[in-house]
Amino acid sequence: MADDKDVLRDVWFGRIPTCFTLNPDEITEREAEPYYLLLPRVSYLPLVTDKVKKHFHKVMKAEDVEEMWFEYEGTPLKWHYPIGVLFDLHASNTVLPWSITVHFKSFPDRDLLHCPSNSIIEAHFMSSIKEADALKHKSQVVNDMQKKDHKQLWMGLQNDKFDQFWAMNRKLMEYPTEEGGFRYIPFRIYQALSERLFIQKLFRPVSPEGNTHTLGDLLKEMYPDALTNDGEQKRYQVLIHGIEPLLETPLQWLSEHLSHPDNFLHICAIPVPTD
Amino acid sequence: MTEKSCGVLDEEEFYKCCRLLLQQSEQLRDGWSWEAVQGSEGYLKKTALRPVPAPQREEESGSHPQMHSTCNPSPQPPQEEQPVCVASSDPSSSSDELEDEDDNSCWVAENIGLMFQFEYHILYSCSYAVPVLYFRAFTLEGRSLTLGEVWSCVHPNFRICLQSCPLNAISQQEHPLLGQPFFVFHPCRTEDFMKPMLQAAQDQHRTVNYVLSWLSVVGPVVGLDVSLNYSLERLPGAPPCSPRQH
Repeated sequence: MADDKDVLRDVWFGRIPTCFTLNPDEITEREAEPYYLLLPRVSYLPLVTDKVKKHFHKVMKAEDVEEMWFEYEGTPLKWHYPIGVLFDLHASNTVLPWSITVHFKSFPDRDLLHCPSNSIIEAHFMSSIKEADALKHKSQVVNDMQKKDHKQLWMGLQNDKFDQFWAMNRKLMEYPTEEGGFRYIPFRIYQALSERLFIQKLFRPVSPEGNTHTLGDLLKEMYPDALTNDGEQKRYQVLIHGIEPLLETPLQWLSEHLSHPDNFLHICAIPVPTD
Repeated sequence: MTEKSCGVLDEEEFYKCCRLLLQQSEQLRDGWSWEAVQGSEGYLKKTALRPVPAPQREEESGSHPQMHSTCNPSPQPPQEEQPVCVASSDPSSSSDELEDEDDNSCWVAENIGLMFQFEYHILYSCSYAVPVLYFRAFTLEGRSLTLGEVWSCVHPNFRICLQSCPLNAISQQEHPLLGQPFFVFHPCRTEDFMKPMLQAAQDQHRTVNYVLSWLSVVGPVVGLDVSLNYSLERLPGAPPCSPRQH
């Protein structure tokens, strides 16, 4: 299945052109130029924005600099969501580059988790992998791994090493052939413009009758509003890594190939743009 | 054999356990409430005032003296070098949010500025099939506590063994229903420590409320004590506090 391996690479190397601009209320010694970066969709903002931080620190006094955080059109961006999810959720269907505002003051600690160091990102990342494996294999695979194996997953993500990451991650993607898939599919459905954050429930890749569950089956059960009924105008785009997969796609295949490195399938339901 | 004997709890049972806990809480007046979130989902909530641990007193002090306040009657009191215990015969010594069920003693916080407001939520994790304790804490001026400050409120005996876990037992995470930052007790070990407890209960044909038993283990670490009355008193008219065995 050479093609499927290509899918993993395409997902891993997905990039979003981004323009970082300093919040105009920050105190600077001279004008701050915007900073441009290609952000990896599967990574986390604080993991790939060291250069952004350094760039803006150059024009600021040390005493005016506190914990860095990001905002898009008034919404503080949650660093603990993968970058691609933040983009799909808040900025899909807008003009590129993605324009992010950088702040060094007034950290919104009722909205955002603090991220004082990369070890916090690592802990968050590993805790997601553990949770996903609890769903997929009752934690058996992740618990059988050694500490250095966990480190390999994290280092693979941190240093953008596809082969290093997947050499270990493929173990998390295995399942007994006779069962036809994982125990449950680790997924989250995010709804833009909804009070409810995301839907995360138990859902099996195969029905009790032995039928393969598809993306459409999942949505029908979890979020039927996202589906278009006959004769209706399409109201939602269902995005994974910025694309709209066919609703007939088997969920197990999606879980193995379109999950983020945290092993969750992050699905965004975005209202179709009206204009 | 129910699923319980393997240390986990299904979602329906979780809600059942919560309802029973609430019924008892209502009689004991210890402040638990149910917060519904969209349809059937929701969580148990309780707020409480806790005294600031000694090392932070200097930083946080400097406000209105007075308020003869109760605090934690736990067997693991907050780490104060010289805690002052007095008999709490004075009914005004407990506030609404702060219940002191053990009537034998209470701490005297000599200064209202030396209290933190803790907010505890009990949610269900479908991934781990166990309850999860989320909490956050503020100073009385409304500033959120940092993870470091929260750790300093954990009794040293707990701190040593919990911080040595590979995955720190307490971390900051997003509240899955509110989307706000909370501290959380990582649930990945819950099944392990619940298993022997449930097994023993089953062997002795005792019924247990999973959520209550679990809370009595994790709660005290962050100053949330479960009154013994939950287990000692069979309240008149109250149903046995256990989910049904299938």
